[in-house]
Amino acid sequence: MTDLDYLKLSKPAKMAHDLGSGIAAIPGRIVKGFKGLGLWFAKVFRGLGASIADLVTTFKDGDWKTRLSYLVMGFGSCARGQWGRGILFFLFQTVFNLYMFFPNASLSGCYYLGKLSTLGTVETYKEGRRTVYGDNSFFILLYGVLTLFFILAFIYTWRLNVKQNKISEQILKSGHKLKTTKEDLSSLMDEQFHKTLLALPVLGVTVFTILPIIFMILVAFTNFDATHQPPSKLFTWVGWDNFRQLLSTDTAAYGGTFKQVLLWTLIWAFFATFLNYFLGMLVAIMINKKGIKLKKVWRTILVMTIAIPQFVSLLYVSKMFAQDGLINTYFMKWGWIKSPIPFWTQAGWARFTVILINVWIGIPYLMLIATGILMNIPADLYESARIDGANAFQMYKKITLPYMLFVTGPYLLTSFTGNINNFNVIFLLSQGKPQSLELAGNAGYTDLLITWLYKMTVNDTNYKLAAVMGILVFVVLAVINLVAYNLIPSVKNEEDFQ
Amino acid sequence: MKKVLALVLALAMFLSLASFASAEGFSGEVKIWVAEATVDFTKEQVEAFKAAHPEYANMTEVVEPVGEGDAAGKMITDVEAGADIFGFAQDQLARLVAAGALEEVEPGNAEVVKAENDAGSVGAVTLGGTMYAYPMTSDNGYFLYYDKSVVTDPTSLEKILADCEAAGKSFYFEINSGWYQTAFFFGAGCELTFDSNDEGQLVAMNSTYASENGVKALKAMINTAKSPAFVNGSSVSNATNLAAIVDGVWDSTPAKELFGENYAATKLPTVDGFQLGGFGGFKMLGVKPQTDDDKLAACDALAAFLTSEDVQLARYNAVGWGPSNLAAQKSEAVQADVALSALASQLAFCTPQGQYPGEYWSLATALGDDVLADKLDDADDATLLKTLQDFEATCLTYLAK
Amino acid sequence: MSKKNKVPEVDIVVDEQAGVIREVKPEKTRSKKGHERRVNTSIYVILVIMSIIWLAPFVFLVFQSFRSYALESGGMVDYLLPKHWSLDNYRFLFDGSNFFPWCGKALITCGIAAIGQCALLTLAQKKLSNMDSSDKKGRLVWLLCTLAVGLVVFLALAAAVQGMAFAGNVGKICIVVALYLIVGYIMARMFTKQDDRLLRQIPGYVADEDSSPLKKLLSLCLEFLAMDLILLCIVSPMVTSQYLRWYGNTLTIALFVAVLQTIIVLSVSYTLSRLRFKGRKLIMNVVLVLGLFPGFLTMITLYFLLKQLGMTGAGAVPGLILIYVASSGMGYYISKGFFDTIPKSLDESARIDGATRFQVFLKIIMPLAKPIVIYTILMAFMGPWGDYVFASYVAFGNVPNYNVAVGLYQWVNVNDYQGYFTRFCAGGVLVAVPITALFLALQKYYVEGVTGGAVKG
Repeated sequence: MTDLDYLKLSKPAKMAHDLGSGIAAIPGRIVKGFKGLGLWFAKVFRGLGASIADLVTTFKDGDWKTRLSYLVMGFGSCARGQWGRGILFFLFQTVFNLYMFFPNASLSGCYYLGKLSTLGTVETYKEGRRTVYGDNSFFILLYGVLTLFFILAFIYTWRLNVKQNKISEQILKSGHKLKTTKEDLSSLMDEQFHKTLLALPVLGVTVFTILPIIFMILVAFTNFDATHQPPSKLFTWVGWDNFRQLLSTDTAAYGGTFKQVLLWTLIWAFFATFLNYFLGMLVAIMINKKGIKLKKVWRTILVMTIAIPQFVSLLYVSKMFAQDGLINTYFMKWGWIKSPIPFWTQAGWARFTVILINVWIGIPYLMLIATGILMNIPADLYESARIDGANAFQMYKKITLPYMLFVTGPYLLTSFTGNINNFNVIFLLSQGKPQSLELAGNAGYTDLLITWLYKMTVNDTNYKLAAVMGILVFVVLAVINLVAYNLIPSVKNEEDFQ
Repeated sequence: MKKVLALVLALAMFLSLASFASAEGFSGEVKIWVAEATVDFTKEQVEAFKAAHPEYANMTEVVEPVGEGDAAGKMITDVEAGADIFGFAQDQLARLVAAGALEEVEPGNAEVVKAENDAGSVGAVTLGGTMYAYPMTSDNGYFLYYDKSVVTDPTSLEKILADCEAAGKSFYFEINSGWYQTAFFFGAGCELTFDSNDEGQLVAMNSTYASENGVKALKAMINTAKSPAFVNGSSVSNATNLAAIVDGVWDSTPAKELFGENYAATKLPTVDGFQLGGFGGFKMLGVKPQTDDDKLAACDALAAFLTSEDVQLARYNAVGWGPSNLAAQKSEAVQADVALSALASQLAFCTPQGQYPGEYWSLATALGDDVLADKLDDADDATLLKTLQDFEATCLTYLAK
Repeated sequence: MSKKNKVPEVDIVVDEQAGVIREVKPEKTRSKKGHERRVNTSIYVILVIMSIIWLAPFVFLVFQSFRSYALESGGMVDYLLPKHWSLDNYRFLFDGSNFFPWCGKALITCGIAAIGQCALLTLAQKKLSNMDSSDKKGRLVWLLCTLAVGLVVFLALAAAVQGMAFAGNVGKICIVVALYLIVGYIMARMFTKQDDRLLRQIPGYVADEDSSPLKKLLSLCLEFLAMDLILLCIVSPMVTSQYLRWYGNTLTIALFVAVLQTIIVLSVSYTLSRLRFKGRKLIMNVVLVLGLFPGFLTMITLYFLLKQLGMTGAGAVPGLILIYVASSGMGYYISKGFFDTIPKSLDESARIDGATRFQVFLKIIMPLAKPIVIYTILMAFMGPWGDYVFASYVAFGNVPNYNVAVGLYQWVNVNDYQGYFTRFCAGGVLVAVPITALFLALQKYYVEGVTGGAVKG
């Protein structure tokens, strides 16, 4: 289609065309993405090769200080007067060696690495009446991964050490002076300031987020569940079995349930995000309208509900909607209904109630955001539109809505992602119930993937399936994010303000 | 010479015995998890135990209020950090054994326990021929509490519902609990039990749910749920407008407060011509596997003490928990208790407790939820039969492979 | 709504019969005004209904909290107003604690101590202004002496009024002495040097540059009062009931998390926003990817990691602080957006003048970042109050170390706690009221943060 033809299309047709071409472009983009990934891998490999080549040349061309640094990290830096760096390198090497070859063999890094492939072979046995615990598969896996991390960090630091030697040599050869320790420290506050600021956060995230996530991804390939609980029992690698179990569709297997829960999660996220968004915007527009007094009062009343902790308000509200709760009792008293509405016991009602209560929670928040953005829209846009004879709805469609969507596009995406993982609302309101014979594994009709994951972890201690589910949630979210990022620019082009 | 030798030998034996005696006893820390209502009581009893057994006088106990529902889950999550002695209900036994959180009852104690406690409770703590916990109460079953002024004939469920409807009050029953649900099925004559092997794994299922009786029971459940007076629940404190409730001994005090002079309790009614049955429910004290022989001995002794006749009776007097000890059950105080008598008369219709896979309970909840959601309201017999057949098939998948 | 001088919209109608030219409001305007009034009225009606619906559950919650658990049984009953209004539930929450006596005595102790300390500082200031400004040692000695006397006053009052024991308390008293000397010295030095820029950053310091000296003195007094109260908590804590213990746990966690998380989030967002270095894009992408994993996936791993450090069960409070703070760097997005709006020219001109990046961060950017700092502190503070999942997992049955969410959840959902529903309501009210008040007070910063700085003030 040529540009002229495109411009001749009506507005809806234009949008349809853009959406269609956006979606049609996705396979192409995915292929491009894979190609990019492949190129990136190639680059990494080439980089690795270059690194190794560099190592060899540095050794050949370096002087004796450099060569000795290959064995004793930090030697070169110390020998050239950079004591601070040298001692740090040496300390790191010592700590690493100590950890890997700890005298008490059952605590050393090598021990855990060795057992990593089998995840423990010595079973727990009883001597008389007392129990003697054998291998602990959990700790083998955990410390094994930690050791691998440590080894990677060591290789990186060792490489850094060699590179620094090479650079120092070159600096000295060209006649300049090397940085003293004092200059190093002061540069930490200046050029290297980012290292100072990021050191602790990165360490925290690595140990408390990355390590556990990698651990759980690995658990998805083991049989760690209620019957294989360390320390009394061992668990071991089972490959792709867990994925097969979760995705297969025999009766009592989880495949069908998984699809249902996934579908409901997506529907829930969609409604939770967009219903709140548009209703919140509507409320903000209503309050913001010229002629409405006490704007601050209305806003404050609504905003107060954000502050109250959810566990208080949601627990109370969930009891309000019970079969013998306030709402049913008063509706029956006023004669509006004859028998109690099964808010929590029927699947359809439960889903509706959950979405409804989520609207109650979400509108104040969205109203706040919308108000902030609305106040930024220049008022003369509206004035000129009114002079041109536009009515309220047309002004909304052509001015307010495009502006809002433009500014909050990324926010909508994060909100959608957040709602897929919105544990609090579902857990406190309905605990995922009602359950049914049609749903396996303790899942209920209002269960999101994440609440199902929680139940599996805490109630059933079925960690392997929980891990698999976590990975699948991640895959779903990653796909959605990728798709959205590709679609948003093409929708953005529709935003013409005037 | 010989006399000297004999003296020396005697002295040596005496000394070795003395050292042996002093090697017994334990002076470390023992962590105990019991329900919140019995924390103070348990502390007192442990002090009494320490007074009666001087070799344990230096033991320190830590009593934490972790209820039966939570204790099992926490023990399975982390056995090492869990309590050394903990109370739990019988439905958790299989899970706990599978996770290695329960140590066998000491064989000497096991004989005593078997002789002194009622058959149901002994069955509840036994898995595959081995006893894994000390029975503590037999009052975890359920029966009917009702308001005398509203319910005129508590022997028939249909009449109870009619009375409640006429008075505008509610009848509470927790249909979506695998525990209460068996009242209908077992009462109608169905059976659902699991056999275990020596290692405590469940390896075979005996079920007659998918039968005419099962359909009869399921239909009775559905009809009960249809009544406008029916509310799904089993807690007096959370109930509104209550006239009758199927509940257990733990709710006797709130029920007494609520109904006042009209408080009454009796066995479960009949429905559709058959008597509602159910489970006997039991609570027990478990000991976790220990790496130290002395500590294990101490825990065994303490657990046995806490479930002995005197302590069970004292516990009844303190918090109202019906004992599993046969002698304690015959005491006057227990016999006079309205709720416990109702329970006793209901127990005649209850099935001795066996072991069930953990997943069974959520499967039964699912079935109950389906009934509550009116999904089976208009189903014909064939559909109901099919539902029960699917139920059985799913239960089969829970067996150990 | 400003009343502008508008030319009224009228139509000129020629009334031929009467032979007059009349001004008539055109039909359209008349119906438009009526239409607008109708729209406004319907909006008011909708807003009123909405306010009722939004506030109703909380009002009911407050009502239920006045329904005594001893006199009226039942959970969620079907009547709204309690039959007998009573404070039994609240009394239960404070049962066994000496909260009210402690608070009364604490106010007396710290009030008198703060007034005394400020008086001493004023005297010192007079003396210092007469001294030679280059006599650094002398000034230091004087300040320290003044502080020491203030400290002795505080400790004496604590022992006398609060009944603080010296015997087993030596370690804590040493900590208190050290903290007092450090913080007190900083505040005193700024006060005597009339350089209260940093003092003004502390919330609660009500005076500003042009206030009278009396107002400044009053503000300093308030700051000392606050510090004395905190130190008193360390040295002579109150006897708590179970609920108060939970409350205290959560408050401790929230305070530590608020401070530490803010530092970390600001560091990370500043770095990613202003500084350019290799690996910047990598870090942002990695954080994005990590954020897609569900949070509970890592619960069991974190539990065992904390167990190795001894921070579960009895050590649940430090353990929870560690978990919340360690991963908080991932929540940099909003702060980074805010930093992006500060023009880079400020940085550049400062660097041309020779400042290190650290000095730029501290002296130039931070003062401008007050809204986002307060927003981050507020969000970090509010987080731990509602966390049920991690808190119950880490506490592992050790009831005194629960946080409020876990404790109250037990009261509602665990069968052991029949009839605790109204007490749950009371506990919930006591949690909600301070947080809501704090939130409303800092509302404008919240709005700024959430709208990404689009709305200022």
